[in-house]
Amino acid sequence: MKRLLLGTASLLAVTALAQAQAPVPENLEKLSNFQTTGTSEFTFVDQTGDYADGIKKTLERIKLPDGFKIGLYAVVPDARHMAVGPQGIVTFVGTRKDKVWSVTDRNKDRVADEVKDFAPSLKFAIPNGPCFSKDGFLYIAEQNRVLVYPAAEFFYESPDVAAFNVVKQGELIPPTEESYNHTARVCDIGPDGKLYITLGQPFNVPAPEKADLYNKWGIGGIIRLNTDGTGREVFATGVRNSVGMDIDPKTGDVWFTDNQVDGMGDDIPPGELNHATAAGQNFGFPWYGGGNVRTNEYKNDEPPADVVFPAAEQVAHAADLGMKFYTGKMFPAKYQGAIFSAQHGSWNRTTPVGARVMVSYVNEDGTATSEPFAEGWIDENGEYLGRPVDVAELRDGSILVSDDLAGAIYRIWYEGN
Amino acid sequence: MLRSVILALGGVFLAQGVLNQSAFAQMPAGDPAEGRKKATMCRTCHGIEGLAKIPIAPNIGGEPASYISRQLIAFRAGARTHEMMSVVAKSLDDQTIADVAAWYAEQKASATLPAGKTDAQAPETCVACHGTEGIATMEDAPNLAGETVMYLDTQLKAFRGGKRTHEIMSDIAADLSDEDIRELAEWYSGIKLNIEKAK
Repeated sequence: MKRLLLGTASLLAVTALAQAQAPVPENLEKLSNFQTTGTSEFTFVDQTGDYADGIKKTLERIKLPDGFKIGLYAVVPDARHMAVGPQGIVTFVGTRKDKVWSVTDRNKDRVADEVKDFAPSLKFAIPNGPCFSKDGFLYIAEQNRVLVYPAAEFFYESPDVAAFNVVKQGELIPPTEESYNHTARVCDIGPDGKLYITLGQPFNVPAPEKADLYNKWGIGGIIRLNTDGTGREVFATGVRNSVGMDIDPKTGDVWFTDNQVDGMGDDIPPGELNHATAAGQNFGFPWYGGGNVRTNEYKNDEPPADVVFPAAEQVAHAADLGMKFYTGKMFPAKYQGAIFSAQHGSWNRTTPVGARVMVSYVNEDGTATSEPFAEGWIDENGEYLGRPVDVAELRDGSILVSDDLAGAIYRIWYEGN
Repeated sequence: MLRSVILALGGVFLAQGVLNQSAFAQMPAGDPAEGRKKATMCRTCHGIEGLAKIPIAPNIGGEPASYISRQLIAFRAGARTHEMMSVVAKSLDDQTIADVAAWYAEQKASATLPAGKTDAQAPETCVACHGTEGIATMEDAPNLAGETVMYLDTQLKAFRGGKRTHEIMSDIAADLSDEDIRELAEWYSGIKLNIEKAK
């Protein structure tokens, strides 16, 4: 494609209007053979100056429990979901645009000092969801493909990285079902070693005709597959648009957030934190729009008898996204084993809600109880100063929070009183 | 080829003009000051001056009021669908549409090519309506400067696949490959859009 960009306008026009062009070689083929693509340019993001200072000013107004502090960790444009490298060298950050960022804290002062684009020779499409295996393989779930980057913590220093298909372009979902909305995928590696990927369904409430196709592909659900791309199966159905998932390190159970139906009113339906105790469970959508609130479109249909209701209901329209079980030792005992999750904030509620970090404590019976942990990103005029997306954990037990409005990653640590 | 496209465009615009006149005959006049107040529901995604806050929201500051109204009416009527906008537009009356359209139309959009790029490199398929720098040359076409790659990619694929329809765009998109779409999207996405705040 580079050739076309540099070519004359008429060549481009002819190419653009003519059908049946020979496929342009993808850089992925070269990278899969450990060949160079000739790309040498990184985009670096400035970490100091007025922009960073503006974000720091916002952080002064964030309220946290006693003893906790928040600071700017990195300026990262459009920062979405994060994957902290198992060696603790670099954090990869997805976007809903066309870049993945690598964030490095070289001097270990717990503030990043280098942010640059990852694999600039590859063309990404909504690379929202990075996740790591314990042995250092980075997976990135995009709109309609999944690639694996072995030893990403090593190769990211070069513009050319090793990259291989897990799910080829066009095979994650049927291309006819591609959309932008509800296409921010997240992934995780389960205790079974399989790759779990959330697949949002594209509608507010889908038409019944879509049900068979979506259930077959796991759209509006979670799928799992072997890390070589084989053995794909649908793990969970009845999900509207999950953009947050983590495995409970104690039980191995999959927990995930879900975004609920719009246009039913300011205060219904509730948002969801869900707990999957086995494969094959149905979480109730589209019969339920969130919690046990029935959707208008399916109010006369009989829901499946075995619907699993949320482990914890959340404030309506707050948009619960990324989540992480806290495994560190830095935070006080009550937070150990709890879930930290981000609420992105409502987009069309009369008075905005969300834009905060929640903490949820897992109860004996498998449900959970949630409360706000960090808040203050909505100002007195109802304007967003930031919109949290995901939570990750550093090896020292502090947590990172990404924000795609401010274009930043924050670090929250515990100092005590 | 290009010539036939341009000839076809001429015919369509004549037809569009007639349609638009009848569709907008009943629209009330918009008040930008009222529109600014009512834009509370727009600004989370599109920004108060129309510089978008999320990747899938287009930059609507400086678009003609008629273009914005037409899209909102299409979302309200279901002729254009989008998971978020269909929900929003359902609750809008004609006066609100006219007001928010007037507010966003008050902003002034301009574009700057990135260093090393010249107008001659602009995709010829698009420039007749959307301009070399993504500032549209006619009312019915939106500005494309500075939209995200994913927004432009999504719209072109929607035209190609029939999820979104338009007299001209449906035909143009029908012939584009995924690679072509990405290339066109990257051209316009790489241009810096400036929106000058209305006084």
